[in-house]
Amino acid sequence: MQNSITWKIGGEAGFGIMSSGIMLSKIYSRSGYRILCTNEYPSLIRGGLNLVSVRISTQKVEAMNRDLNILVALSKLCVETCKNDLSENAIVVYDPKDGEWKESDFPKPVKLLPLPLGEILNKLGAKPIMKNTITIGATLALLGGDIELLNQMLKEQFGKKGDEVVNSNIEVAKAGYDYVKENFPNEDSVNLPSGGEPEKLLVINGSEAVGVAAVRAGLNFAAIYPMTPINALITFLADHEKQLDIVYTQPEDEIAGINMAIGASVAGARAMVATSGGGFALMTEALSLAGMAEVPLVIDMGMRVGPASGMPTWTEQGELDFVIHAGHGEFQRIVLAPGDAEEVFTLTVDAFNLASVYQVPVFILTDKYLNESQWCVPYETYAAEVEIKTGKVVKPEELKEDESFKRYSLDTEDGVSSRSLPGMKYGNYISHSYEHDEIGLVTEDAEMRVKMSDKRLKKAEAIKNLAYPPTVYGEEDAEITFVNWGTTKGPVLEAIELLNKKKVKANLIHFTWLFPFPQKVEELLKKAKRLVLVEQNSTAQLGGQIRRNTGIDIEEKLLKYDGRPFFPEEIVERINL
Amino acid sequence: MNPHDFDTAHKPTWCPGCGDFGIWMSLKNALAKLELTGDDLFIVYGVGCHANMVNWMKTYGLAGLHGRSLPVAQGVKMANHKLPVIAVSGDGDCLGEGGNHLIHTAKRNTDITVIIHDNQVYGLTTGQASPTARPGLKTKSTPAGAVDAPISPLALAITAGATFVSRGFAGDAKSLTDLIIKAVNHKGFSMVDVLQPCVSFNKGFDYAWYREHIYDINSEGFKPDNKVKAFEKALEWGDKVPIGIFYEETRPANEDHESALSEKTLVDHPLGVKDVDSLLSEFI
Repeated sequence: MQNSITWKIGGEAGFGIMSSGIMLSKIYSRSGYRILCTNEYPSLIRGGLNLVSVRISTQKVEAMNRDLNILVALSKLCVETCKNDLSENAIVVYDPKDGEWKESDFPKPVKLLPLPLGEILNKLGAKPIMKNTITIGATLALLGGDIELLNQMLKEQFGKKGDEVVNSNIEVAKAGYDYVKENFPNEDSVNLPSGGEPEKLLVINGSEAVGVAAVRAGLNFAAIYPMTPINALITFLADHEKQLDIVYTQPEDEIAGINMAIGASVAGARAMVATSGGGFALMTEALSLAGMAEVPLVIDMGMRVGPASGMPTWTEQGELDFVIHAGHGEFQRIVLAPGDAEEVFTLTVDAFNLASVYQVPVFILTDKYLNESQWCVPYETYAAEVEIKTGKVVKPEELKEDESFKRYSLDTEDGVSSRSLPGMKYGNYISHSYEHDEIGLVTEDAEMRVKMSDKRLKKAEAIKNLAYPPTVYGEEDAEITFVNWGTTKGPVLEAIELLNKKKVKANLIHFTWLFPFPQKVEELLKKAKRLVLVEQNSTAQLGGQIRRNTGIDIEEKLLKYDGRPFFPEEIVERINL
Repeated sequence: MNPHDFDTAHKPTWCPGCGDFGIWMSLKNALAKLELTGDDLFIVYGVGCHANMVNWMKTYGLAGLHGRSLPVAQGVKMANHKLPVIAVSGDGDCLGEGGNHLIHTAKRNTDITVIIHDNQVYGLTTGQASPTARPGLKTKSTPAGAVDAPISPLALAITAGATFVSRGFAGDAKSLTDLIIKAVNHKGFSMVDVLQPCVSFNKGFDYAWYREHIYDINSEGFKPDNKVKAFEKALEWGDKVPIGIFYEETRPANEDHESALSEKTLVDHPLGVKDVDSLLSEFI
């Protein structure tokens, strides 16, 4: 028995492909397994080919692997597209009505499992949209799972639609399950070994994870214009407005969104925006306003393939240089980049606290792969105690009648001055886009300009001391040291395991704090025998930051920019051993 | 309250005779009459001659980017809807660079007031045509005279869903003060378009021209309760130029739809999630 099975379903958009993946994921995450669920789809709503992969394992899943064990094809195009990804003896579930297949049509030996989806639907008088439910029933039969777990899931999924819909789904699921049991009674090659003691696990996509972490960190205002890949964040916030006493507003464009967030933040809300590269391009002018006026602001930047409209539904790490350099003029910012849903939680909470404490814009640099994949994380990670820091805000009683309050006071060690909140008596001041003096009135005085500029940049020193160094995974005396940031983390971690099996010791230096560049990186890199940079872009943007800040030029680079996340196997293949 | 309570250490830098003085005085008068102090309200400024007012106006506020005063004002309002929020803007700021924001603010009907300094030119960049420039107006960017159809801020606001649409004249501080008071008191998005001479770069439309041409529609019996008639009136421009309240209606403001704001302001809610377990249970 294999302790990890990778399953893929594909068909036209609009046939419940994604929800099938989530259902299967939750069935297994609840019964002692770990999962990862990823998607691939073109930028359209109907037709085309949507693919969802679920990897189920008895151990923690860091990445999607390349070799498929089960393919569930709801269209002929799906088989044609995926047949080269099938591992030896993989099972292909398909409806013979969509086209017949022979074993010789596939590059490796496979087991064909024709499942007459249309016939089953007709016999039960069910709707074509329920095709996917039949296949999940069939999948459970193949994996040796308990159909009751699926029934429970269907009750939760369709409960709101009434008993009739629930029962009809349960009926077709059972038909799929029974068909496999009756027609392929000896098929046990992809049975999963029994899972461990079930843990309390969340199945959550990256956007939802940012949302949950943000509200736990005190977010109460978001103005987000729709854009792939952060749309699930909008859904999460809009759905929870009432439950969480927060406001989500849909602005007319990204420019309005960030300006609204700046207004809300000045008025005392904890505000964020989210977008992708193109939307962020529109926000850059206001980013500079947040820098000048010293406004706390969190920006979730979900990277996707660029430039311009690029490939909107595919993943890339192409915006590191952009967010570090965006905006006119010189001002401080912080850039954090989570590599998985666990890092999303801690970094998002940190982002809100850092923004408030240092009164600067803070980026959470995510990507399509992170945002739209379903991750499996321990409940405790997201239930952890959170400290909400609001930074330097004056108490109403500290404000004096002589109106001597100085919003941009130069009397500050770390460059951060106390702010008052609109409505506080004797606290009025102007948040200024122009250069200003201590009380917030415009100035073009040479001396004051220099002092204010120095005050804002003084934050850099304080922030730099906080920047967390990259995390090292794996053994110290490795022959190969990978260097990466963001979501290449999982594939590299699994690649290290594969290399270990080949008796090659490897480790990883993983950056989560990208800007300002953390300290002591040079020592860490110099210890390595052989550095290999892994990035999901074509210009090695982290490599550039490392060179600029440490003088170390990592020559060996594994770069990928075809829109598809790395597979661990691919990393191993591309390394010269 | 005294209007001079809003003065700062800065003295206005507008050209002598600029229409901005009349708007500034009227705004200060209105706020004093409304018994608001500088701590009780929030004013957002765009960029342009109008926005230099920020330096001689002591209130909570934000000097923003060109064209972006309305989104900032809406963010402030959502965070603390008990504060009166005013956007001080110009014709270039609000109808050129920020035109899209005007349309959508009107659509949302957020309870804020915009005062548009409307002088048909960009004064701060020394005199190019603005979106309201009348055909034929010679400016640095239209040496042969403006040729485009001018945008009517009033007609645009009416069609986009604004619930209080009015026009005043910078040379008549008394009635402009009254108009601003009504606009601020109106629940929903209110616009005060202010016809304003630019003594340096638009010499044709001076105080004398406006005094000769403007007339108060409400004192002539025009009722601001009909959208179609208001639209028609808004397009009137020639021998007679109408001022007054063109349109007024009651419609829930954007913030009225937000459940979080039904009992208290957003900033008055405690931060963080009360019931973490119930939130996380959705993802199990």
